[in-house]
Amino acid sequence: MNKKNWRVFQELFRLRFHGLTVFRFDFFAPFFVDGSLFAIQLLAFGAVYANVDRIGSWGRGEMILYIGTFSLLNAVNMTIYFFGINSIPYKVRSGELDLYLSKPVSPLFRLTFENISPGAVPLILMSVCIIVYGIASLQMTLTLVIAAAYIFWLVLMEILYYEMEVLIRSVSLYVVSMARMEQIEEAGLDLCMKLPGIALYGVYKVIFYLILPYGIMATLPVQSMIGELNLQRTLYGIGVVVLFTAFTCIIWKNGLKHYNSASS
Amino acid sequence: MRKYWEISKTYMKTQLVWRADVIFNMIFTISKILFAYLLWGIIFQNKESVGMFTFHGMLSYYIVSSFLSQLEMSEGISNEIHERIRNGTFSKYIVIPAGIERYFMAMELGIVLFYLVFDFAAAVVWIFIFRIQFVFTTQWRVIVCAVLMAGLGMIFMIRLNYFLGILTLRFEGIGTFLMIKNNLVSLVTGSIVPLALFPETVTGILRLLPFYYVTYLPAMLFTGQCQEEAVRGLVIIGCWCVLMQSAIQNAWKKYFRKYDGAGI
Repeated sequence: MNKKNWRVFQELFRLRFHGLTVFRFDFFAPFFVDGSLFAIQLLAFGAVYANVDRIGSWGRGEMILYIGTFSLLNAVNMTIYFFGINSIPYKVRSGELDLYLSKPVSPLFRLTFENISPGAVPLILMSVCIIVYGIASLQMTLTLVIAAAYIFWLVLMEILYYEMEVLIRSVSLYVVSMARMEQIEEAGLDLCMKLPGIALYGVYKVIFYLILPYGIMATLPVQSMIGELNLQRTLYGIGVVVLFTAFTCIIWKNGLKHYNSASS
Repeated sequence: MRKYWEISKTYMKTQLVWRADVIFNMIFTISKILFAYLLWGIIFQNKESVGMFTFHGMLSYYIVSSFLSQLEMSEGISNEIHERIRNGTFSKYIVIPAGIERYFMAMELGIVLFYLVFDFAAAVVWIFIFRIQFVFTTQWRVIVCAVLMAGLGMIFMIRLNYFLGILTLRFEGIGTFLMIKNNLVSLVTGSIVPLALFPETVTGILRLLPFYYVTYLPAMLFTGQCQEEAVRGLVIIGCWCVLMQSAIQNAWKKYFRKYDGAGI
C-alpha cells in the first residue's frame, strides 16, 4: 500500500467508525450473527461425533480445526471487505459507481476498504480460540514450520475468498440482475462451511474444487497442519489462486468498460 | 373467513410474478440434500447404522425435513413488520379491514399452498436423482398426526415471527436478533442434523420446546420413527400455540401505542 492509499484507507476507516457507532448493537452484529452460526456448527458436529469416530479420515479434532479455519477466513472477510464488496451490484444499478470512478484512487481499493467492520474483530478472536481448541483436541505439537505453512495457506485462501466475492459481484457490470449469482454463492458457501473437501468426490469435487473453489478454502490450510498436504495438492491450491486472480482482474477491468453509469 | 381466503388467493397469484424465483427456490433445495448425501455417504461407508438411522433412512429424514423447512417461510413476517415499523409504513396493515395477525396467517397460507406443489415435486426429483430408497410410514394414524403436527408447527412459527416483529415497537432494531434466531432455529428444528444424535439430556430438554415439533418430529413420524411421541407432541405444540397467542396479545396491548407512523 503506497502513502496515498494509506491516507485514503485511514480516512475511510475513520468515516466508517463514526457511522457504525450510531447504532451500538448493530456495531457487533457480524460477531453475534456469524459467531452463532459457527457455534451452532460446532454443536451439530459434536452431535455427529458423539455417534461416529471419523468422517472419512478426519476425527473430531480435524473437524474442529476445519470449522475454526472457515470461521477465521469468514471473520477476516467480514472485518475487512465484505460490506464494501457486497455493495458493488447496488452501486452499479444506481449509478453510484460514477463517484468511485471519478476519484483519484482505485475504485476497487475504495470499495474494498470503505466499509470495514471493527465489530467483527471479536469473531477473529473467537475463530482463533476454536483453532486452538482443535489443535489441543488433536494433541499435536505445533512447530514453527507447521504454523508458518498454515498461515501461508490462510493468506492464500483469504485472497481466493476475496477474489470470489469480487468476481461474482463483477457480473453486475455485465447483466441487469445478478440475484441468482449471489444465491449460487450463498448455497456453495453454506455447503462448504459445513462439509470439508475430503467428503467431496467426482463431479462434486470438480464443482467445489475448481468452478466454485469454496471446497478448498478451509480444507487446504487444515491439511497443511495435519500433514495431509502433498506436493500435488500444494501446486493445485496455488494454481487455483493464480487462475482466479487472473480471472478477477480480467472480469473486473472489462466490466468497468461495460459500465455505462445509471443506465447499467 | 371469505376475505382471508381472498388474501390467500391473492398471495398465491402474486408468487407467479416471480417465476424464476420459484424455479430457483426449487433447485436450491438440493443444497440440504447434497450436504446430507455427501456427509452421511462418507460416514456410512464404514457403518451399517448411526443412532437409529440407516443410510437411506437418514436421507429420507433429510428429504422430509428439507421439504417441511422449505415450506416454513414465516421468517418473512418478522422482517416485513420490522422494516415497516422502522420506516413508518406499518400503517398499511392497520387501515386494511382485516385483523393484522390473521392477514399474515392468510398470506402465509397462500404462499405455502403455492410452494407445496413445487417443493413436493423437487423432493420427488431428488429422491430419484440420489437413488434414495425412500422410507415412509404406512400407518395412517401416524401420517395424520404428522400432518397435524407440521400444520401446528407452522402456525406456531407464524405466531412466533409475528410476535418478534411487533417487538420492534419496543426495541426499535431487532434485525440482528432475527438473524441469530434463524441460525438457532436451523439447529433446534433438526435441519442440520437429526436431534436424535444429541445426548438424551439435550433431547429431553428440546422435547419441552416447540421447535422439536416444527420439522424434526413430523419428519421422524413420516419416516416411521418415534411414533410413541406423536400424541404427546400434538398436545405440546398445541399448548405452545396457545401460549404464543397470549404473548402476542399482551405485547400488542402494551406496545401498540408506541407506533406513531413516522418511522424510527
